[in-house]
Amino acid sequence: MNQELLSVEGLTSGYGTAAVLRNISLSVSKGEIVVVLGKNGMGKSTLLKTIMGFVSPFSGTVSLDGDDVTNIRPHMMARSGVAHTPQEHTLFPDLTVEENLRLGVASNRLFHERLPSLETLFPRMLERLKQRAGTLSGGEQKMLLMSRGLIAQPKLMLIDEVSEGLQPAMVDRMGEVLIRARDELGIAVLLVEQNLDFALSVANRFMVLKLGEIVEQGDVEDVVSTQTLSNHLAV
Amino acid sequence: MPDNRLSMSYTHRAALIGCLSGLAIIAVAPLFLDVYLTNILIRTLFVAAVVMTVDILWGYTGVLTFGQSAFFGIGAYACGLIFTHYGFGPGWALAALAVALGTAAIVAAAVGWLAFFHGSSPLYSSIITLALPIVLTQIIYSGGSFTGSSSGLSGFPTYYWDLKVWFWIAGGFLVLTTTAGWLLVRSDFGRVLIAIRENEERSAYLGIPVSRIKTMLMVFAGMVASVAGFGYAAFSNVVAPEMAGFQLGTELLIWTALGGRATLLGPVFAAIGIDTISSWLSGAMPFVWKLLTGVAFVLVIVLLPRGLAPLIGALWRKLRPKHVPKTHAIRLNPAPAGRMLQASFGDAPPLCLSQVSRRYGSLQVLRDVNLDAHGTELLGIIGPNGAGKTTLMRCISDGNERTGGAVRVNNVEIARGSPQDIVGLGVGRSFQNTNLFDTLTVGECLQLARYRIDGAKLFDRRETVSLPQPALDILKTTGLDKMLAEETRNLSHGMKRGLELAMVLATEPSVLLLDEPTAGLTRPERMAIGAVLTRLTQEFGLCIMLIEHDLDFVRAICNRVVVLHQGAILMEGTVEEVVASDLVKAAYTGLQKEAVA
Amino acid sequence: MEALALDILTTAAILFVVSTGLMIILGVMKLINFAHGAFLTTGGYIAYLVGAAGLNPWLAVPAAAILGLLAGLVIERTIIRPLYHRPLDAILATWGLGIVIGQVFALTFGRGVQFAPSPILGTIDVFGSEYSGYRLAMLAIAIVLAVALSALLSFTRFGLNARAVIANEPLARGLGIDSANVRSITFGLGAGLACAAGALITPLLSVDPNMGLPWLVNSFMLVMISGVSFPSLLVASLLLGGSQVLVSTYISPILGGMTIVVLAALILRLKPKGFSRA
Repeated sequence: MNQELLSVEGLTSGYGTAAVLRNISLSVSKGEIVVVLGKNGMGKSTLLKTIMGFVSPFSGTVSLDGDDVTNIRPHMMARSGVAHTPQEHTLFPDLTVEENLRLGVASNRLFHERLPSLETLFPRMLERLKQRAGTLSGGEQKMLLMSRGLIAQPKLMLIDEVSEGLQPAMVDRMGEVLIRARDELGIAVLLVEQNLDFALSVANRFMVLKLGEIVEQGDVEDVVSTQTLSNHLAV
Repeated sequence: MPDNRLSMSYTHRAALIGCLSGLAIIAVAPLFLDVYLTNILIRTLFVAAVVMTVDILWGYTGVLTFGQSAFFGIGAYACGLIFTHYGFGPGWALAALAVALGTAAIVAAAVGWLAFFHGSSPLYSSIITLALPIVLTQIIYSGGSFTGSSSGLSGFPTYYWDLKVWFWIAGGFLVLTTTAGWLLVRSDFGRVLIAIRENEERSAYLGIPVSRIKTMLMVFAGMVASVAGFGYAAFSNVVAPEMAGFQLGTELLIWTALGGRATLLGPVFAAIGIDTISSWLSGAMPFVWKLLTGVAFVLVIVLLPRGLAPLIGALWRKLRPKHVPKTHAIRLNPAPAGRMLQASFGDAPPLCLSQVSRRYGSLQVLRDVNLDAHGTELLGIIGPNGAGKTTLMRCISDGNERTGGAVRVNNVEIARGSPQDIVGLGVGRSFQNTNLFDTLTVGECLQLARYRIDGAKLFDRRETVSLPQPALDILKTTGLDKMLAEETRNLSHGMKRGLELAMVLATEPSVLLLDEPTAGLTRPERMAIGAVLTRLTQEFGLCIMLIEHDLDFVRAICNRVVVLHQGAILMEGTVEEVVASDLVKAAYTGLQKEAVA
Repeated sequence: MEALALDILTTAAILFVVSTGLMIILGVMKLINFAHGAFLTTGGYIAYLVGAAGLNPWLAVPAAAILGLLAGLVIERTIIRPLYHRPLDAILATWGLGIVIGQVFALTFGRGVQFAPSPILGTIDVFGSEYSGYRLAMLAIAIVLAVALSALLSFTRFGLNARAVIANEPLARGLGIDSANVRSITFGLGAGLACAAGALITPLLSVDPNMGLPWLVNSFMLVMISGVSFPSLLVASLLLGGSQVLVSTYISPILGGMTIVVLAALILRLKPKGFSRA
């Protein structure tokens, strides 16, 4: 039986007096990738930020592994095994690649233990350890981001639009990484995306967020035609 | 704070009563106090007038100043220096006073220029006000026998009037200046000061000349402080560098904080109380007293940021519960459309961008953007995140933002103009996150928005606010016209958005820049805003540029759409053309270079 | 000529040592610690007490550092933390704290001036002329301090966490860094450095309850100009400290005292970011 790792119930959240999310409920289990689809401004980033604790919800609850983490502080969430990859301001551009990676893991010893395992996922990364992260290309920065998330060996990854601005080949690579993380490491992933093809290629389940509400959801393998989904995301 | 909303006639009456009572107390007090206490009180009363100016600058306007003591010192030294080295007599006294006022004004203006330019951080301004008394003290030290250096000057000729007379002068000065100050902060202009304190950026974007106001305030505060210093020196017959120093400057802040920021009377009474006790104690006690006030100060800052006065005020209200003063009512008036029709009548497009670029170090956020926007046009700016949309808007509304290119509004180059200058050219801007003025009411916010056109009364409050028809319409649609006395922090999100739009329209723009106007709004609210914007372009000829993510909204109301991608214009056209374009689809789904020519 | 050059170098060194505590607090906590002057004074009185007790004057420095660290941790938790969102109020609260500390010293030691013995007596022969041995030691200490602090920042886990918090606090928190803890330790470190600096400079001058004040203002201006960077602080100390020495020597010592303040104010007006690379 699939254990629910992350459970969100009746979440209403936003900034100031603006409610950007209304009454959201979802769950993510171990070894599952769930994707939240939606256009910009529909509340996707707010969802992840609320789960992580950067934004306090107006109402509703968030549970991790059965524990109530609704009002937890972000660093405690991170230490509980949740890796958050935000959409903007994701790296420390003035720190080196190695330093950025180190920040993913609490102890130096663990860092050195796990570093070699990234070799298989991102081969050229290890050559660039001393390079300043801000000088990497967009694709390489995303690779670094994912590496940082994975080196933490989290239980849950909250990923905000990792495919944005990447070449098609790179996007495929990211997909492979996520699938391997799910299958080999049992990591649960809550992914926020606008890129429909990428999303459907990696996710087990999906949901569509529109104007702060879930308007559609289901299993990816049950999707016969992507037309309606495309319409939700259409330009 | 309910008493801010009292009707003006009540305020004027209260001021008159307060002033007369104060003067009466001053007149009678010396007959009952002993010589020692009277002596102390005279000095304290002069200093209390300076504290009042500190509260106006810091408590009301948010300018943390360590430097009011410098102006006090300028006044004192003007008196001491002229009486010592030049002459004494009524003519000389007047001349010395003129020198005091003039020097204070010039120094204050210089400080204003140095500290309050657009974009200066509050920390920087405070540093400058910190440096002022230090520099002044050093100048005094280096003056040799002319200034008396560290010992100061004493024994110069002065008016050796009876203590009673001096008490009346000091007390009268304090009461009169405090009354004037009180009327100032309760007036429309007082609202402007509070707005600057609460949200300086928003105030600038409403066309309020923030830097100029702060400088003017500094000049007048400096002049009042210098007169107080003059009196102090003339009475005590001594001038010393401590009068201009940093320590006195911080004591003024301490008394203001303890008495209660933005209450005016609180700091005055706190100053009188604390300073009197301090001077009255002898032996080692002054140190203990200073220690205690220091501790109290820290506690107040940390635990009771508004000081003790609000507590006393609450107590007062508990004792007089039946007294309900009449609140200040504001009525709406239509104003002539004025400049709003300008956009559709000119030859040149009201908004012209040529080769506008913005870079942060090596990061190029906008590259060579060329764009024209016309009257009666609703132009939508869309694009993926990070495309540079908000940056583009900033480059139009703030002359210092762009690193290259030119922006013309109504055929005038914005050059390096500040936001308030550009508002003057006819640009109105709303923000992604509504930020208004929490403690002001809806009516007061609207009056604020009219500052540039209608000004603000210094010692009085207008009962009406004139707004152009579109603004009045919004107020009616949202129901805000019935809520003019409500504080903005109590409004729902949709209403805040409506109020913000009304405020921007109140500045009579011909070009409107809206950043995600529908964010966080419900469906009916979106439709309402859409209708309003359409009317604005069709009936009033405005040129409206809006950033939006809600493409249904864009499709419904925009007649032209520009797609921004990675800082450059990807495509322009009607909504249908853009939606059908493969180029744009590719940009949105992130597939890169080959698809983007 | 050599003496002038040495004056400039040693003055810059002293300014640097005094300013580091203020700078790391500003960098990590985005806060100006106005109790900095009082911490300097505390270090000064510790130096005086160590001297009065007949102990080795060098002991004053570690004693001051440890006391400052502990006091800093307590102060951060009680006074600074509640003011996280009110930076201007934090300036005032720390200033108030400084006053309280000053008054305690005035009550304990009186308002007069006290002296502390110098760990290095006499002069050293440099470039053929005699120069104060202790001042030269300050030069060495400044260099060692710069190197040690840079190493702390660059090579330790705490330093990495601190740099992450300096660059982007929300991101750091999202990665599991307890930024509140980092801020606490940083304040303790800054206070410890300030006390140690006070113990170091007292033998050169003297200590009285208000001794820290002129140093507070000068280091404040230096930190504003240099931003959060040890190299920038060294450069700023050299340039402005040097200007101070030149003005004091060739124009007047009193005007020299305000050189740093005036120059810094003008520089910041023209270039609000100062020397930092932002």
